[in-house]
Amino acid sequence: MHLEAELGSASVSREEVLDLVRGQLAEILEIEPEKIKETSSFTEDLEADSLALIELVEALEEELGEKVTGFHIADEDIEDLVTVRDAVDYVVEKLEAS
Amino acid sequence: MKTVPRSGADSASLSSLANLPVALDAMGGDLGPLEMVAGAGDATRAHGIPVLLVGRSGDLGDTAGADVLACTEVIGMQEDPVRAVRQKKDSSVVRAAEAVRDRRACAFVSAGSTGAALAAATLRLGRIPGAVRPAVVAPLPVPGRVPHVLVDAGANVECPAGLLVQLARMGSVFSAVRYSVSSPRVALLSNGEESSKGTPEIREAHRQLLETPGINFIGNIEGREILDGDYDVVVTDGFTGNVVLKLLEGTLRFFMRSLLNAFGSSPEVQEAARVLLPALTPLADEMDPEATGGAMLLGVDGVCVISHGSSTRKAIMNAIRVAHEMVDLDLVARIKESIEPGHR
Repeated sequence: MHLEAELGSASVSREEVLDLVRGQLAEILEIEPEKIKETSSFTEDLEADSLALIELVEALEEELGEKVTGFHIADEDIEDLVTVRDAVDYVVEKLEAS
Repeated sequence: MKTVPRSGADSASLSSLANLPVALDAMGGDLGPLEMVAGAGDATRAHGIPVLLVGRSGDLGDTAGADVLACTEVIGMQEDPVRAVRQKKDSSVVRAAEAVRDRRACAFVSAGSTGAALAAATLRLGRIPGAVRPAVVAPLPVPGRVPHVLVDAGANVECPAGLLVQLARMGSVFSAVRYSVSSPRVALLSNGEESSKGTPEIREAHRQLLETPGINFIGNIEGREILDGDYDVVVTDGFTGNVVLKLLEGTLRFFMRSLLNAFGSSPEVQEAARVLLPALTPLADEMDPEATGGAMLLGVDGVCVISHGSSTRKAIMNAIRVAHEMVDLDLVARIKESIEPGHR
């Protein structure tokens, strides 16, 4: 896996994606970002329900959509995102493919 | 029928918010769009509140000059609400929430899927900073007194202790703003008055509420005190709250039907009923759930009233009236003040 996705003139590193996911999630769940680990499970560790996950997905689409036209997370893929790491890997792959 | 464009933010300032129409999800409700449109017309005629009807134009019938925000999709009661809101971006409830977000309406009302209204409000209006989860607050009519406030009446099936404390705070603000109750007395619903009673979440919430400044916590109450207890706000998780709400409504309906049957049991009783009914009718009106119109969604950045699926035009008219009153009272700003970080 590439460590940095090239987006035209812009690029987003895996670390930046992780920060973005962590920051949005902290805001949605009203918790400290430090409590969110890569290994954290959305439902079991962070007690995020389906609405919170969709809030996260839409926030990521809005944020990354400014850099990559049409950035979209497919609904059928959302249920496969169990941990924060799953989400970060997924976003990085989508960015690399764009 | 006057249709309005779907997008394009209005430049209405906050001060002029109350002059905007109330958006009505005209496709929600078991009785169909025509009943919704009739309720909207009643709200405009009786209370002077303009209504923006949101629905499929061909289904709305005679809209009597009301503005229409046309959409093409509807979210059904059986659909997964979160997924449906994400997928059906041109549905009536999503468009109604967007109308509030875009300052084309001051509030929205839906008698459709509660989950869809909750998801649409959360995703399109956004949560108030500091609000862990939105919650449904329902007024419980009490004869001769201001209504008791039940929170959460259905949004959060499970509530950890911290969320119950937040519900107490939001319910307290609602009671103070909506019913002018000074320092509302907040109670926690449990299976006993003692602090040792209840689930682990209830016991922990009890402990936290005792230590939380700004909330007039009076302790636990039991189910039998919900209607005539000496309190103003009762806090519980959304599963229990929804069961309580439906139980009360069903019990009242059953009791009224049984009473009417008893009144017809013999000529002598019928004669007595003729004397009693004028005294009982105002009481029945006061206890009528349709008079309250619906439940408010608290914790989102806008006014949203959720009505029963079975709402008649009377309930919809009252829901629109209540939504408009919430805007006039600036309820959302008051909730913000109470829970935003830095204000707690």
